[in-house]
Amino acid sequence: MKAVNILLMLSALMLSPSVLMADVSLPDPNVEQCVAPPVLIALQSASDDNNRQIVLPDAATAGNLQISFGETVPIADSQASEDEIMIALTQWNSAEEANGIETTKSESAIIPEEKEVEIADPLFPVNKAMFEFNDKLYFWGIKPVTQVYSHTVPEEFRFAISNVYDNLWAPCRMLNNLFQLRFKAAGNELIRFIFNSFAGIGGMGDMAKEALGIKKQDADFGQTLGHYGVGHGFYLVLPVFGPSSMRDGVGLAADQFMHPLTYVSSNTLTFVEKVGISAHEEVNSTSFKIGDYESFKNAAVDPYVSMRNAFIQHRQHKVELSRQ
Amino acid sequence: MNLPTKVFNKGRNMSVRTKIMKKSVAALILFSIMILPHYAYAGVAAETVHRYADKVLDVLRDPVLKAESSKKIKKEKIRLIADDMFDFTELSKRTLAQNWNRFDSSQQKEFIHLFKSLLADAYADKILAYTNERIVFSKEIQYSDNTAEVRSTVISKTAEIPINYRVILKGTEWKVYDVVIEGVSLVNNYRSQFKEILLNKSPESLLETLRKKVGKS
Repeated sequence: MKAVNILLMLSALMLSPSVLMADVSLPDPNVEQCVAPPVLIALQSASDDNNRQIVLPDAATAGNLQISFGETVPIADSQASEDEIMIALTQWNSAEEANGIETTKSESAIIPEEKEVEIADPLFPVNKAMFEFNDKLYFWGIKPVTQVYSHTVPEEFRFAISNVYDNLWAPCRMLNNLFQLRFKAAGNELIRFIFNSFAGIGGMGDMAKEALGIKKQDADFGQTLGHYGVGHGFYLVLPVFGPSSMRDGVGLAADQFMHPLTYVSSNTLTFVEKVGISAHEEVNSTSFKIGDYESFKNAAVDPYVSMRNAFIQHRQHKVELSRQ
Repeated sequence: MNLPTKVFNKGRNMSVRTKIMKKSVAALILFSIMILPHYAYAGVAAETVHRYADKVLDVLRDPVLKAESSKKIKKEKIRLIADDMFDFTELSKRTLAQNWNRFDSSQQKEFIHLFKSLLADAYADKILAYTNERIVFSKEIQYSDNTAEVRSTVISKTAEIPINYRVILKGTEWKVYDVVIEGVSLVNNYRSQFKEILLNKSPESLLETLRKKVGKS
């Protein structure tokens, strides 16, 4: 009797933590598995740049370089890319405190933020000028208009209006999800479009999310192109639209073709009126984001570089999400 | 065959045995519930981050400090929590990356101090603008023995923003060394900026830029 009880208790004790920790130890399918190159580069002398050498503890590869045990290679000759050295350096710096200067053979998984995301910026002068232009445009044009707009139109109305505009983008999201072969997401967007247009009265309320629990499945054509491996090309700052790239610029244009308003005949709505509607959409959505650009500038040491970097990180994240 | 039943039934009748069995099961369940940690999916790292987040929320929600005049007090309290929660040395090292060794040790100390002030100035107002959003911690992912990522979502009226904290184990404490918002890592972002600046400038001139920036606000 007692023995059975004790046995039950012991097994509960042993099982419960492991059951709870189970999720912690399982590899997360959502996380890109960080495959570690079997290299931990140790730096012989960190102080003198010229004499710095790489000593690899094992037969290993660093970039294109194959080195065998114990060989020392001066950095200047190595083909290991700057990024890989930087990754190893950062690793080394953190390992330094923990283990002294000794190298360890343990895991050298690339921690995600060490992955350099870079974009070519051959149009740097043009982009910088456009960045400054957008900056002035925001402070002298968009922000004052938006502030007046926010004071005039109550928040609930602006919220409903933004839902209407968001609903009009649903066909574009649905199509892009289809192109990415994410059928469930495409189906969800279709349901949302129909449901919100009717139950949400023209899209004013996001009833699909509130009643059915179906969330927005964001997708755009730039993401679709990225999904299929198209690279950014180069960085491009667009007037008004802001940071973009060759790929995403094409994406923006393609998205316009998936927007219902494009297909409304010019007898009903002239081109100028359509532009006006887009402008209204922009002002309305900015009304929720006043202050974001200012705090971004405040936080950044170099706003142009910061924006460029944030842009490519964000787009990369979106492409990764689309691949799940 | 008869022996086992004889052993179990030894000296007791059926109904008493059932009663004791029921009590034991109840006690067992109660005991198991007591030893369960509060949060599902939680490892120590996630618990640590959650604890710090709770501390900050407590300051933000404190009815005593609601007034505009107590903004400074709130800022100071949050700054103390942040000092504890973040490992600014690790953050600084990772943002400077290769360039860390171009700074001598006094410059490094100054950089850490300035960077901390920069971040505090930049994000204090955003944090103070909190108006009852919900923060939900979802899971913890182990990258290695001493690094992990804790995932959370801030649910506001208009959006759900995923915020992930990357933590590193320093001694026995987990400290945050990076914050990833919607896929954008803070460390990565600042690293690209500093890298660009230090391509053409000396460490001292970067420190000067930071001094001016922090001095202004």
